[in-house]
Amino acid sequence: MQNKRLSGHPKSAEPGEGRFDLHDLPPEVFYDQVHSFEFWFQAVQGYLSNKVYGVDPNIAPPDLPDLDRDRLITVLCNYCVGETAALEGSSGLIGIAPNRQTKIFLSTQVVDEGRHLEVFLHRLQLLGVADPESEVERRASRSLMLFKRRLLELVNGKDWEAAIFAQNVILESLEFTVFQSHAREADPLTRDLLLGIVKDERRHIGFGENELGRRLQLAPHIRARLGQVKRELDHLVLDTLEETLLELGADSSEREKLGRAYLEAAARLGLGT
Amino acid sequence: MTDPFPQEADPTTSEADTRPRQRFELEDTGFDEVPPRFRKFYRRWRGPGDQLGPNEVICPVCKVVIRSTRELRPGDRVYCMPCMSRLIVVRGEDGRLEARVAY
Amino acid sequence: MADFLAAYSIQNWLESCPQGYLVGTVYGHRPEEEEPAALLENEILREEAIRTTVQLVVGERCALAASSGLINAAPDEASKRFLATQTLDEARHVEIFTQRLLDLGVPKKDLESTIQHFANPNLVKFAEVLLEKVDKKDFVAGVVGQNIVLEGMAFSVFEMMHAISEPTNPKFAHMLSGTIADERRHVGFGENRIGSLIKQYPERKPDIEKLQKEMSYWMLATFADAFRNNPARAEFKRIEGELGRAGVHAEWQGVDLLTMEPEEMEHLLADTVLKEFKIRLGRIGIEYQTPARP
Repeated sequence: MQNKRLSGHPKSAEPGEGRFDLHDLPPEVFYDQVHSFEFWFQAVQGYLSNKVYGVDPNIAPPDLPDLDRDRLITVLCNYCVGETAALEGSSGLIGIAPNRQTKIFLSTQVVDEGRHLEVFLHRLQLLGVADPESEVERRASRSLMLFKRRLLELVNGKDWEAAIFAQNVILESLEFTVFQSHAREADPLTRDLLLGIVKDERRHIGFGENELGRRLQLAPHIRARLGQVKRELDHLVLDTLEETLLELGADSSEREKLGRAYLEAAARLGLGT
Repeated sequence: MTDPFPQEADPTTSEADTRPRQRFELEDTGFDEVPPRFRKFYRRWRGPGDQLGPNEVICPVCKVVIRSTRELRPGDRVYCMPCMSRLIVVRGEDGRLEARVAY
Repeated sequence: MADFLAAYSIQNWLESCPQGYLVGTVYGHRPEEEEPAALLENEILREEAIRTTVQLVVGERCALAASSGLINAAPDEASKRFLATQTLDEARHVEIFTQRLLDLGVPKKDLESTIQHFANPNLVKFAEVLLEKVDKKDFVAGVVGQNIVLEGMAFSVFEMMHAISEPTNPKFAHMLSGTIADERRHVGFGENRIGSLIKQYPERKPDIEKLQKEMSYWMLATFADAFRNNPARAEFKRIEGELGRAGVHAEWQGVDLLTMEPEEMEHLLADTVLKEFKIRLGRIGIEYQTPARP
């Protein structure tokens, strides 16, 4: 049965009616629109305009039991490592982006990543961490640090496809999966923060997948190289995922499910193995 | 750039089904991740209890529900603005409409 | 240092920029504002507006490349996050000035060729000097070149253009006022952050002084090209007379720009920018180097 309230009220069949439908836009007009500062500007207005450091100011910081607090600090420290990698990666990619629209899109991603880093550091301060930056260094996962190093090598090597793959497909999919899962069980403040970040991540994963998808169609030989990058990075990502989900108290079936969710994006690009 | 899925034919008809399409008046459901004038074209997926209308498909990339002002049919092109994907509507194995990414 | 950098947070940026002075704008101006018909219908003025806007696009593209490149070279997280906001500011500037080219009638397919045709080679040299430092991940030189020299220049150029545009072209004036508001943060960060780094690395001073001198020379050469032998100035005056706006004034630095000859404007702009460089560099402990005059 159709859910009328959610899908809209049916009208009479009027095929010739000149009503605007977003999906009628030519692709080049759509891409011009979504890769612009104007789009980003109006999109984030929708969900950030009433937030302070990424959260509704009416949500009070909750008191957490010591063990939960400590686990959350470890998880947030690793989120900071991931966001720093994404900040440095996306800013480095601007220099090698192939056109103006891509450079402008990546600039919006840079500020998104900077914002994520800032709000996680702020959340650490609210949890009583006096020096968040040194805490991040102390608690950073080895696998994630190795991933970050490799990502920046790809960026510095000006390898556009491999770097976009590592950052906007692999890293962003990992974050998208973990943040959504974490938000379900998190305290209200952390949940609000994570849900705002997930909204940004949608743009990033979509951009990465579409950019690479188009390139793979035009130059299928790239697939072998990306497959190699994926094999090289997969174990680092899956190790990070496992470590984080353990800290979050996820059971083995949930961990397996999220592992599969992470691999879906690569599979859609034909990089399933 | 060549569009592999141009709307060369009248989008309100398809080979499989020539009856007129239903039209829909879309309402803003509170989806806040795109500019205001485009918000009515999207809504959040509410989980297993939720159902898709004939004018809706789920984006496989970011899991948002994409909505059109008309009933969707296989071969239609839709855009997911929250994740910036272009998609093509297909009939899935279970007979329901799905969206595949058109790179 | 941490306290000073807190003022350059993304939260502050969100509140002051997208949720502040940009609210209600589209491509940096009010939605109902358009380029004046007198400009669009006059080929000399329209071409001059395109030429000028192309220089803005070239300058902002350089700033975008530099600010994004500097994030990886930044020594601390807070500087990285500030540079993230600057990166997006610069991308916004590229976008709004590119949009202005379209508004001025440049066909979309001709955008890049138009930019290449009108880009001032001296401005390109200016950008190359800066981007070479950024490519080497030289944070101190990069920030001086970008946030003090380039942004200092842009700040004065935009202010001057704003003064001229305010009475004649509210759309462009509005775009410039938002851009100037962004530049204030950028020059502020440059001065404040680099001041402490220069104290930490005094041995870098000679290198940075050389950079400032070289970039200043290419900047002056760009100004010279823009103002000398420019036919648009006389046409602008003629049109203003025709429109009965002879009494209109454009005050900047205590003078009325609309009564000045192009050479006088060039000197005023150059002297203003160089004087600002001297003051700003002096504050951070760098000795200003007088550039050769082209």
